[in-house]
Amino acid sequence: MRLFIEQLLNGIAMGSIYALITLGLALVYGVMRILHVAHAAVFTVGAYVGLFIFQATGSLALAFVGSMVACAILGVVIERFVYFPLMKYPPFVPLIGSIAVMLSIEEVCRLVAGPYILTFPAKLPFPDIYAGGIQISSTLLAVYSITAIVLFFLWYITTRTELGLAMRAASQDISISGAMGINSHLIVSITFVLGSAIAAIAGILVGIYYNQVYPTMGAVPAYKSLALIVVGGLGSVSGAVIASMLLGVAETLLIGYANIPLPRDALAFIAMIGVLMWRSEGLLGSSR
Amino acid sequence: MLLEVKDIHVAYGDIEAVCGVSFSLEKDELVSIIGANGAGKTSILNSIMGIFPPRKGSIIFKGRDITAMPAHQRARIGIRIVPERSRLFPRLTVYENLLTGVYGLRKKIPVDKRISWLYGMFPILKERRGQLANTLSGGEQQQLSIARALISDPELLLVDEVSMGLMPKLVEQVFGILKQLNEEHGLTILLVEQNAFASLNISTRGYVLETGTCALSGSAAELMDNPRVQEVYLGH
Repeated sequence: MRLFIEQLLNGIAMGSIYALITLGLALVYGVMRILHVAHAAVFTVGAYVGLFIFQATGSLALAFVGSMVACAILGVVIERFVYFPLMKYPPFVPLIGSIAVMLSIEEVCRLVAGPYILTFPAKLPFPDIYAGGIQISSTLLAVYSITAIVLFFLWYITTRTELGLAMRAASQDISISGAMGINSHLIVSITFVLGSAIAAIAGILVGIYYNQVYPTMGAVPAYKSLALIVVGGLGSVSGAVIASMLLGVAETLLIGYANIPLPRDALAFIAMIGVLMWRSEGLLGSSR
Repeated sequence: MLLEVKDIHVAYGDIEAVCGVSFSLEKDELVSIIGANGAGKTSILNSIMGIFPPRKGSIIFKGRDITAMPAHQRARIGIRIVPERSRLFPRLTVYENLLTGVYGLRKKIPVDKRISWLYGMFPILKERRGQLANTLSGGEQQQLSIARALISDPELLLVDEVSMGLMPKLVEQVFGILKQLNEEHGLTILLVEQNAFASLNISTRGYVLETGTCALSGSAAELMDNPRVQEVYLGH
């Protein structure tokens, strides 16, 4: 029982991290209908920038803020200079552009920081908790709390503010939202700012959680988050969060209990294939 | 002159949908553009709204050339559209759909007052205010689309095929409301319709569009008496 609860707690933390990465992808797909594969490279940059600021200043708060700002700028640059000019072509063109951007950013990280695994020896300012013989480490607690804050913030923006109404309108019909006075290009940029800043948070959390930062740390999340937005329902932010949580828990429990001869990373793709075959609109997606 | 459209051409790839159409609207007028499917009516409205830019020609609103202005700025200066097939935001509620119409203008417009005025005109919207737009019937969707366009108190209302898919009784009701808005509130309306009889009936003037060019123009009464219009559009 104790082992089960500990595995479950780890699974929820995994799921939270998947959710933080996948959110940006779901948001961007919502307003632009493109698969923003390069989002995972933004996540990697977030980890590196966070690590460098932390090494230089010793302040984790500065690392978070600086990394979020850097990633927000990077996200908007990708949107303006890669996606916007490619939008007039069929969707596979921006997708290929996105893959190219991801690989380029990975290589830049390798050139700047070297091909090694760097450590991220920071301690998040949360206590370790022991209850009933079960330990919740400060890192786990940090992942939960930060994810909860991010999700609440995003929920508040999208459902309680005029900006959120405009974002939802633009994601449902971008040309008519323009005719309603909504500057849809600005909304797209704001979406990139939000998604990329959240990716920065995820990058730092992953770096600390595994104590590793390396150039290709975005590769597996890139493909996995693609699978997750398909499973959640393309463009559905809450679907993406639920799919991420389910995957995190399922992966951790299956690896802990069932002796399946598959690598854990296969699970996301099996789920994606299943969804595509039997419920192609995803968990919460709407068929259009 | 409130709106002046000069020699606009609209093309999708190599296919030209509108080839050199010019017309104008005075303030307080209700003008119809009638024509068959594919005559280029929707393309004209979309280029006035800024949803799809014309390839050539110019659009002047209140003496200002707006040809290159993005749609959201045109909405701010008082042009609003009731698009073809309503084009509501399907997963927003009725109330939220109305609010999108005053995006960025909530400080300038007494939103609550406007909404209760609209609920008075379309009582069903008040009843359904918490429902998602995609649960509404076709007629309710058209009413919401009109209300969403009116909430910001526009100077020029573009109405695209509002009668499409509606029962004759609802067509009459919707056209009655448009006529009332024009006569009692001085709203300038540009109506694009396949239903030539219903639209000319409430219009002051009209244009007949055929394959992307303006074939005829005149007062509504003249057009209704024109033998060609009678034969092709009024089914006499």
